[in-house]
Amino acid sequence: MLTRGTLIYIGQRLVLILFTVLMVSFGVFYVVHLLPGNAFVSDRVHGRALQLLLHQYGLDLPIPVQYWNWLKGIFLHGSLGVSLYIRGLPITPLVLRELSVSAMLGGAALIITIGLGVTFGVLAAVRQNSWVDYLLTSIAVVGYSVPSFVIASLGILIFGQWLNNVTNGGIYYPEPWTGTYGTLAELSLPALALGFYTSGQITRITRAAMLDVIQQDYIRTARAKGLVNRVVILRHALRNALVPVTSILGPTVIGIITGSVVIENIFGIPGLGKEFVESIFQHDYNVTVGVFTIYAVLIGFANLGVDLVYTVVDPRIRY
Amino acid sequence: MKHLTLRFRAVQTAAILGGISLLVAACGNTTSTTSGLATKQVLKFPVYQSAGTFDPGEADAEVDTEIMQNVFSNLWKFDDKLNLVPDLATDVPSSSNNGVSSDGLTYTVHLKQNVKFNNGDSFSSKDVLYSWNRAAALQGAYASNLSAIAGFDAVQKAAGAPPSSKNSAGVTSFRQTLENKLASNDPSLQMSGLSAPDANTVKITLANPCGWCLTAWSLQGSTGSIVNQKAVQTDPENWWSKVVTPGQEGGMVGTGPFYMSAYTAKQSLTFKSVSNWWGSPKPTLTEVDIAIHDPSAIAGDVTAWEQGSYDLIGYGGNSGNLTYPLIQGIKGNSRFANQLITQPKGRTTWLSFNVGYPSTGGPFVGESAAAKGLRKAFALAVDKNDLAKTVCHDVQCSAATGGLITKGLIGYLGDNADPLAKFDPTQAKSLLQQYDPTGKLTANLKYSYNTGGLNDPVASYLQNAWQTNLGVKVNLDPSSDASQFISNRLSGKYVMARDGWQFDYNHPQDWYDNLWGYLATASGANTSGFDDPTYDSVLKQADQQPISQALSEYNQLAKILSDDVVYIPLYYSVANFAIRSYLKGAGSNTQADFYWNEISIQSH
Repeated sequence: MLTRGTLIYIGQRLVLILFTVLMVSFGVFYVVHLLPGNAFVSDRVHGRALQLLLHQYGLDLPIPVQYWNWLKGIFLHGSLGVSLYIRGLPITPLVLRELSVSAMLGGAALIITIGLGVTFGVLAAVRQNSWVDYLLTSIAVVGYSVPSFVIASLGILIFGQWLNNVTNGGIYYPEPWTGTYGTLAELSLPALALGFYTSGQITRITRAAMLDVIQQDYIRTARAKGLVNRVVILRHALRNALVPVTSILGPTVIGIITGSVVIENIFGIPGLGKEFVESIFQHDYNVTVGVFTIYAVLIGFANLGVDLVYTVVDPRIRY
Repeated sequence: MKHLTLRFRAVQTAAILGGISLLVAACGNTTSTTSGLATKQVLKFPVYQSAGTFDPGEADAEVDTEIMQNVFSNLWKFDDKLNLVPDLATDVPSSSNNGVSSDGLTYTVHLKQNVKFNNGDSFSSKDVLYSWNRAAALQGAYASNLSAIAGFDAVQKAAGAPPSSKNSAGVTSFRQTLENKLASNDPSLQMSGLSAPDANTVKITLANPCGWCLTAWSLQGSTGSIVNQKAVQTDPENWWSKVVTPGQEGGMVGTGPFYMSAYTAKQSLTFKSVSNWWGSPKPTLTEVDIAIHDPSAIAGDVTAWEQGSYDLIGYGGNSGNLTYPLIQGIKGNSRFANQLITQPKGRTTWLSFNVGYPSTGGPFVGESAAAKGLRKAFALAVDKNDLAKTVCHDVQCSAATGGLITKGLIGYLGDNADPLAKFDPTQAKSLLQQYDPTGKLTANLKYSYNTGGLNDPVASYLQNAWQTNLGVKVNLDPSSDASQFISNRLSGKYVMARDGWQFDYNHPQDWYDNLWGYLATASGANTSGFDDPTYDSVLKQADQQPISQALSEYNQLAKILSDDVVYIPLYYSVANFAIRSYLKGAGSNTQADFYWNEISIQSH
């Protein structure tokens, strides 16, 4: 149940998100328009033909005026503008489609992050100082020490090259993305590369929190009452151990969103991250600004969502 | 228990039957008809660049026009051997068939009467007037192909500049304004030299005689192509990106044998053949599926091609994407070696000297003996045959020894006919000693180029050649941003730069006008800054004559350029296609892919 205080908090955060998005979008808008070159010039398009195109797309106007026109398009028509690279194509449907692809990848990565991280953390804590603990802790150390692009490259090398005949392309096949949402085989390795890094952090935090919780009196009491260990761990210990985990969910989600820029480009996944990089090289300003703005909105809402999840996980927290 | 066993057997039987039917379905292509054709006539291939636009009035990239040539038609077209043949017109006008007046100023074009757009509309002379007037008013990169028609300049002036206030959500745009005016037959947007005496005749009057116009008007997917007014007017901004749906207005409507049935930007394109198409040969393919991929995906695509997921690679303006290792891989595989098709591509790459921009050009600027001598020294110090061998392994390019116009095209001078193609390190060294004895003039020289493809290894090769044969260290100035590189080159901010041209239509005017002529200078495309009144005067004269008479004058222009050492010829591009042997009719000439309606899939 949302209290009045929570609603006010949400309202304040929405205003803050709007302010942040405006600042970020203007900053990006300004910087990309300062980049040398443009989307049109070529051996064929120059001189008057080039000037006409620049004029047609308003690129010869002062940058603040261009930004104002862009903002008007968003607020009055819900349009992020048109592509310059694919001339005149409205980009809102394009980036929404790409957002859905990125969401698919990000969602899979988040499942891996939380699933692996929490499972490893709990197992390591329950089997403290055993070989299981050492193994899982070591995997976690590797996880948060090795950047995602290294994991991705190694994954391609192992599953795409060395083991390709063994897996028959079941885990990774070096083919371009085959559909709007890809296939499970196409998704598995990118999602692992994207989620593995943060899963290491979650393993560490979960393990530490679990070790702290399972030494509490109420856990001892639960065991004294004769509850089986599985019930004690899952029902009584885990929920409290998840509070600190929740606190890093925000940065984790942000890490996955920003990490997708690298991962999508390595694997050729047609999501927002790939579009972001391509649009910079293609001088497709509206797309660059549109994608960056969507990122800003996503990160704003991810943080807000995590803050609201706190209240569910830890009832002591009130807004 | 017995019940369970029976159930298991039933599931097992269903699984086996299902498996068999899947196998049969998977082998659908192998099922043949009595004529030897595969049952499924669906052509699949990848491309490595998204469409910029499919609007003939604005298109300026080969990757777009290669596809558009199957949707739009011109009055005439190039056949597979680059001969000009009738398309929407009944014949190619000439003085012998009374299609061209004796003064060369008036063309009378008779149109075929059975032609229909692929939305079912009939085609008439009004469509030609609309399409060409619209193209002139849009002022795209190829509008100048229509520039010889009387009234062209007036239409461009009347159309004016597009407004900069447009957006995608309802503001009346430049194109919308033009469409409104064209719909109301606004005389300011009608070229005075274009008229339609009847529904099946078009009369074209030129301001000046024009020897190259007929070929330029025939350029596929460009300003000479015919569009459907009704379809354009449904969405003047984006009509070209909309699919054609039977029974609905709008979409990318042309008179060609295929129409676009699905389009997902940056992902895929699907075209279907027009049933009962008016032209010939009738399309055998029923569908063409194009996947839009990142260039980095080509290795995976070659694997997919070998496994049968794609029928060919290289169509759609992507014949330069197969890298040398991939080409070698295909050649080394006995199963596929004969399915690699190599074809000269009408593109020449050369080095431009900055000869006309004193503030930025360095020691090569001007017409002094020293400037020319130094230019020649640098030209003679490069072994073009060795460059093609070292950089292209004689597979991706060939040495440019016959002038700027590529081998196989009108205006090619002949093997080893270009004096600048010679390799003479002794003379090069001697010229350098003569004109720069202290080495002061040639210190700190830069060679500018955009990175990617062959440009990087070519730059390294040139640097080594000048160091070895002249003892001059030239610094490399790579630019990862092609648009920035081209902008700098167009404004003369370089000393030596990579340059090149891919021909549009098979006529020397396409080269000599667009690169060094008065038109190039006027439009800011004369990158070297070369300016010679004799050149301009010979060019004007040549442009007005039929090619049979003009060729010697164009060759004279080639001589002027080489005498002046405006460039160093480097290489002619070679196209590489991977085409499965069961595809009949697929291939390419120096200009473009063969039309899709010539392709059929044989049973395999």
